[in-house]
Amino acid sequence: MIRAYAPIAIATAVLACVPALFAGSPSMMTVVTAGLVFAAYAIAFNLIFGSTGQLFLCTGALAGIGGFGSAILSDRLGVPMVLSIGIAGAAASVVGGALSWVAVSRSLGTIFTGIVTLTFSLAFQNFVLGRGDLTGGENGLRISAGSDGVLDHQVAPYYVFLALVAVYLVLFRRIQRSRMGWAFRALRDDEVAAKLAGVAVARYRIYAGAIGSAMLGVAGAVFAHHRSFIGTTTYGFANVDIRVLVMVAFGGIGSLLGPILGATAFTALDEVLVDYAQLREVLYGVVSVVLFLGFRRGAAPTIVDSWNRRSSRWSVAKRADSAPEADSR
Amino acid sequence: MPVLELTGVEKHFGGLPAVDGVDLRIEDEEIVALVGPNGAGKSTLLKAINGLQPPTRGSVRLAGVELVGLKTHVVRQRGVAMVLQHPQVFESMTVRENAIVGGLFGVGGERPSAATAAQRADDALTFTGLIDRAEVDVGALTLHEKRTVEFARALAGQPKLLLLDEVMAGLNDTELAASIEMIRAARNELGITIIWVEHVMNAVMSLAERVVVLHFGRTIADGVPADVMAEDDVIAAYLGTGGDR
Repeated sequence: MIRAYAPIAIATAVLACVPALFAGSPSMMTVVTAGLVFAAYAIAFNLIFGSTGQLFLCTGALAGIGGFGSAILSDRLGVPMVLSIGIAGAAASVVGGALSWVAVSRSLGTIFTGIVTLTFSLAFQNFVLGRGDLTGGENGLRISAGSDGVLDHQVAPYYVFLALVAVYLVLFRRIQRSRMGWAFRALRDDEVAAKLAGVAVARYRIYAGAIGSAMLGVAGAVFAHHRSFIGTTTYGFANVDIRVLVMVAFGGIGSLLGPILGATAFTALDEVLVDYAQLREVLYGVVSVVLFLGFRRGAAPTIVDSWNRRSSRWSVAKRADSAPEADSR
Repeated sequence: MPVLELTGVEKHFGGLPAVDGVDLRIEDEEIVALVGPNGAGKSTLLKAINGLQPPTRGSVRLAGVELVGLKTHVVRQRGVAMVLQHPQVFESMTVRENAIVGGLFGVGGERPSAATAAQRADDALTFTGLIDRAEVDVGALTLHEKRTVEFARALAGQPKLLLLDEVMAGLNDTELAASIEMIRAARNELGITIIWVEHVMNAVMSLAERVVVLHFGRTIADGVPADVMAEDDVIAAYLGTGGDR
């Protein structure tokens, strides 16, 4: 039990030390806080894609439903911020669950699920632009709820998002160890085998879509209240989906800490390439192609496996070399 | 009441009948071999029973309860397990984990604890002789072992009826003998009814108590193996007739 959650405790403890390095720099605190937001998105995406193979290319849109939904509820309708975040998360969950339902009921494979969800993502962007009366359109939406609370400070928001990431990791781990986790593993491995074993493949895919989308919605909503301003690009495809995809593909698809590793690596890379904005976008494109062609399980797990195999071969060779000495004794 | 009753089962692919009006009654604890030339509709009939390829028309009743219209996983939970020719195992899991999935999800109307599922898995692995390899990754197993894992996963879900689709194809003599014994034991010791599609005729003759022959999706013979295999229609279906040339 303790062993199962130890990696989460260690990762959380390490991340908790980060503000000690950057507390004096507001810009760096913004960067590392954004890194945690992306880590939260990546964990949610990993639950949907990594666990059940549903390529949701609408991570940003689902987070945007949370962000815009919560902002509108709290600022326009006066709903308390925490409640509005919850409602917006539930709305994202319903939408994500519905997208999963469409995918499973029409037996869409990974690629076609990607196309359908990408279409939804583009439709959401157009909705944000078109319904300027609700979303602020091209001018964006200023949010007052949360602007005078804990989310407005430099360091405190970091810990709010760290808590969110820790909760998401615990949730991910709990699901992995539950009956649902067995179903996810089975259907990801072989859908026909899962059906033959009695797994309700369609139902579990919808569960993954709904739970992951709720996580995206809540993270997007908290981010909106933290930033106090959201615009058309805040949850845009290029801004969110591509990055999240690359982070998960790098860190390890379906793994517990892969999204954290990916978010850390690419947040750091973003900072290194901060003066080369266009180059950064090209790099993300190239990296995503390379990762999906050469590292299907994720770069980090592939490298670790390759290292383990190499060390195992090395130790076998070493034993073979030392064998004659042992014989001669 | 028969364990399984098929009435007028048809399965069409783009208008072509693969199974064309099959009627069949399977009694409790029978071992029935379903044979016929390639393309006779044997595997399609099995998949029509468990919903992998739902029938176009007809009725499939398990102990009097209609199965047509139910999803494959529900049919499984009602007690119909299936093992395929090309093993459908969970490659990223160990042998025990594969069987645990069967124990967790195979039995309908209950949510067994992990411990119960693990016990069912271990019982199934003991029965199939895989218990010593329980912690081995399935990816490292031979074809025969993978089929046995699938068999164990099916048993862990405590089925009433087991559908076997050419599970003896490609086995050597030792593996063949072991498979025959395992199937016989599943019926004798666990009381499972078995419908078995097979091309390996010496295995059919030594294990099956009843043989049903399909040809172009229709039943052309049904009876005791030695009698059925001597029928002119069956010989003609397998070997062709002078008129076919």
